This record gives sequence, structure tokens and C-alpha cells, in this order.
Amino acid sequence: MKRLLEASWLRAVAFALGLLVLWQIASDLKVISPIFFPPPSKTLLELYRQIVEGTIWTPLVETSLRMFYGWVLASLSGVMLGAAIGSSPAARDFLNPLLEFVRPLPASAIIPPAILFLGLSNTMSVTVIAFGAIWPVLLASVYGFASVSRQLVDVAAALRLTRIQFMVKIAIPGAMPDILAGARVSLAIALILAVVTEMQASQPGLGQNILLAQRSYRSAELYAGVVVLGLMGFVINYALQLIEAWALRWRPVHS
Amino acid sequence: MAADKAGSAVSVRGVSMAFTTGAPVLADVSFEVREGEFFCIVGPSGCGKTTLLRLLAGLLKPTGGDIDFYGAPIAGPGRDRAIVFQDYSKALLPWRTVAGNISLSLEACNVPEEERAGRINALLAKMNLQRAAKQYPSALSGGMQQRVQIARCLAQQPKLLLMDEPFGALDAMTRQTLQDEVARLAVEQKTTVVFITHDLEEAIYLGDRVIALGTNPGRIVEMVEVGIPRPRNQLLTREDSRFLAHRHHLFGLLQGH
Repeated sequence: MKRLLEASWLRAVAFALGLLVLWQIASDLKVISPIFFPPPSKTLLELYRQIVEGTIWTPLVETSLRMFYGWVLASLSGVMLGAAIGSSPAARDFLNPLLEFVRPLPASAIIPPAILFLGLSNTMSVTVIAFGAIWPVLLASVYGFASVSRQLVDVAAALRLTRIQFMVKIAIPGAMPDILAGARVSLAIALILAVVTEMQASQPGLGQNILLAQRSYRSAELYAGVVVLGLMGFVINYALQLIEAWALRWRPVHS
Repeated sequence: MAADKAGSAVSVRGVSMAFTTGAPVLADVSFEVREGEFFCIVGPSGCGKTTLLRLLAGLLKPTGGDIDFYGAPIAGPGRDRAIVFQDYSKALLPWRTVAGNISLSLEACNVPEEERAGRINALLAKMNLQRAAKQYPSALSGGMQQRVQIARCLAQQPKLLLMDEPFGALDAMTRQTLQDEVARLAVEQKTTVVFITHDLEEAIYLGDRVIALGTNPGRIVEMVEVGIPRPRNQLLTREDSRFLAHRHHLFGLLQGH
């Protein structure tokens, strides 16, 4: 099993490298315009320059923090709301129509009103990110809290657990697989929205850098930014998977 | 056992139960469970035996009649009454180890943290679970999982142990082992047990007394005093003439309903 995984890993990496090589060749042969598609060599060289000169870190940290704060806010409020809604059928009936109306709103559509109310500030970005990123974790939490087994409710009743004990000892750990799965999707959305708010509301960060590079035809810089964002997404997703595997280590391993 | 002179632990008088939808589940059920008695309730599916157990646990309230526990009416669940559910896989916390699952009862009973480990170890030893202490339920066999649930119930030191077809999902060998262990524990701990099963032989083998329930609506059709001395033996007791006589008698009654 493990060997197989490693093999498929290798193949996936080899495939990606192959694409890079093709891109390099196409660019060198001027099949595609190097102005719009600089070869990977130039992009990586630009990336290397930014690392050496240290200019990469400020926007990277800016974007990461923005994403992180928005995600934490989304996750905390998503889990709390999800617990309230999931634990009570009455709340579900009452709130579902409203949630179903608000949920499909594109988060970028609330940037203009958010700017009106909160100005071009970090508060605005974090609010927009949290609004857009809350849905996966909220819906997963509602499901997780709603599907606590009947039997465990009986066990809790027979032991006369208090409402808080029930939440802490049974409902939250029971909903944790759903919460974590939702939070992982939310984090991806938070990254997207961090970049979008930077582009739309000129907040400093990777998103703004990419936009400025594009406007002044510094395409190597543009793609260097894209590569950094891709790596960020990859790393945080992997980190969350590790956390998930640790937090849910009690789950049976299926072959 | 010498339970005859003991007081009454549970008193059920004229209890009926109907859910809002449909026909009554139980009609005019009355019986007494003596202190320290192993009391078995046997009946076909749909006779309301699980409902009866949930009434005793206080998880349900009867629509008619009275249930007393040591002289006081049952108003709701209490930690002096523990319930072992049939579906052990759903009654355990899958994210807690065996020791952690036993700990849940101690936490609910507000046992101070420094006392818990000692009590958990004693229960692990009692239920032959020492080697599984750090394992998660999903890694255990059904029989082991049911032992964990029983250990968790014993952890709350109940005066009454309610068991809802606890061995119904286990294979025959495991079932017999656990039957003997529970019978031994009940004597050792002097716990009153109300044990529900659809297996007539299991009821006679384990019980001091057995009541048989009929269906539509659930009602008592017979009560027998088993009168076979303990400890009982899986081979010899089942060949005992009294065992066979009860079996014939109750078998006919249960078939007729």
C-alpha cells in the first residue's frame, strides 16, 4: 500500500515536471509569447531573486495572516453556529431558508458594501474572507452536530451529563471529522478571498503584487507570485491533513 | 439466591405505554424486582421489552401506572441505574480508548481525577480488558467492546444494572463466556440486574426469575421462579430437568403469542 502510494507520488511529480519541461521548450522555441508566458526558468529565477533579496516575505506574511485571521474567524463562528443549528431541529427549520439564500452569494459581491462600511482596511478583508469561508465549515458542522448517534444521546442522558459536558465530551468530538473536513475546504476559500480582496481593494500582499506585475507586463514576477500562492495552498492543505490524521487517529484504518 | 427475604428494588404497577402514533406498546404490566435479584424479561420482537427497559432507566415516562425504585417514583435517568445497550459499537465513544470510555462514567459521577486511574484499572482487571486499555473500540472484537460497555456501567457503581439484549449480536462462544461473567459479577457486586433477551434459554440460564412477554400489546403472559442453584454451568445447567421443564413451559407460551 505504502509503496504504491510512493509510486503514484513519483509519477505525479514526474508528470508535473514533464509539463514544466514542455513549457520551457515551447517558450524557448517562441511557440508561445514569452511576454505572456515567460519560461519556467525565468519565473524560478525571479522567485530566487525575491528570496535572496528578501522582498518575498512581507507580501507572503501579509497574505498568510489575512487568510489565517479570516479562516479562524470563519471556523470559530461556523462551528458555534453549526453547533447551535445542528443540535436543534427547530433552529434548523427556522434558519435554513435564510442560510440557503445567503450561501450562494459570491463573497466577492460583498466587497463593495464591506468597503463602504469598513473602509479599505484589514478589518474589511478579514470580514469578507470570513463571510466567504464560513459556509463549508458551517454546513459541515451542522451536519456533524445533527448526526450524533441516538445511542450516545441515551448514554449521556443515562449518565445525567450536563449540557456542557455533553457538548465537550460527546457532541464536539463526534462532529470533529466533519468540522475538520469543512475547515479544510474553508481554508482554501480563505486563500482565494485573501488574494481577491487584495486585488479589489488594494491591500498589500501577494494578490496586489500579482495584479501590479500584470499591469506593468512584468510577467516573470506575475508567475512567481502565482507559484508562491500554489505552494502556499499545497503546504497549508498538507498541514491540515496532518492535523486531521492526528486528531482523528481513533478512526479505523480502511485498507 | 437468597433474594426472597430482600426488599423490593423495583416495583412496576399497572404500567401501560403508548406512543403518540399507533397502538399501545405495553398494557397493564406489573412486577416486582427484589434487591440483588437477576431478573430476566424474555419475549419476541415487538413485545415492548426494550420500551420497558427504557422506562426503568427513566429515559421514557409511562403513559399509565407507576414505577418505583427503592420506594421512590422514577422521575428520570439516574446514575444509580446503569444501562447496557445492545449496540455496543454505537454506545461507545469511538474517539476514546477503552480506559477513556470507562472514564466517561467516572467523570459524570464527579470522581476526582486522581482516583480515576485506580478505579479504571480495577474495572479493566475485572472485565479482562487490561491489555486493551489503550486501544480504540474500533480495534476490538464485538465481545471486547461489550465488555467495555459493561465496565463503563459498573464504573458508576449502580444499584440496578439494566441490560438490553447485550449479547444478541455476539457469536455463541463469546455469548456464553460473557453470560457466565455477568452472572458472576452480579453475585460479587450484589447488583440487581434486569436483563432483556429474546433468547429463552439465555433468560432461564441467567435468571433467578423470568417473565415472558406477549405481543399486541406487550403484557406479561407468565412468570417463573427458576430455582436452579448458582453457580450455574453452561453444560450441566442446560441439561438440568428444571431448566428443561421451564424451557418447555415457556416455549409453548411464547409460541402461542
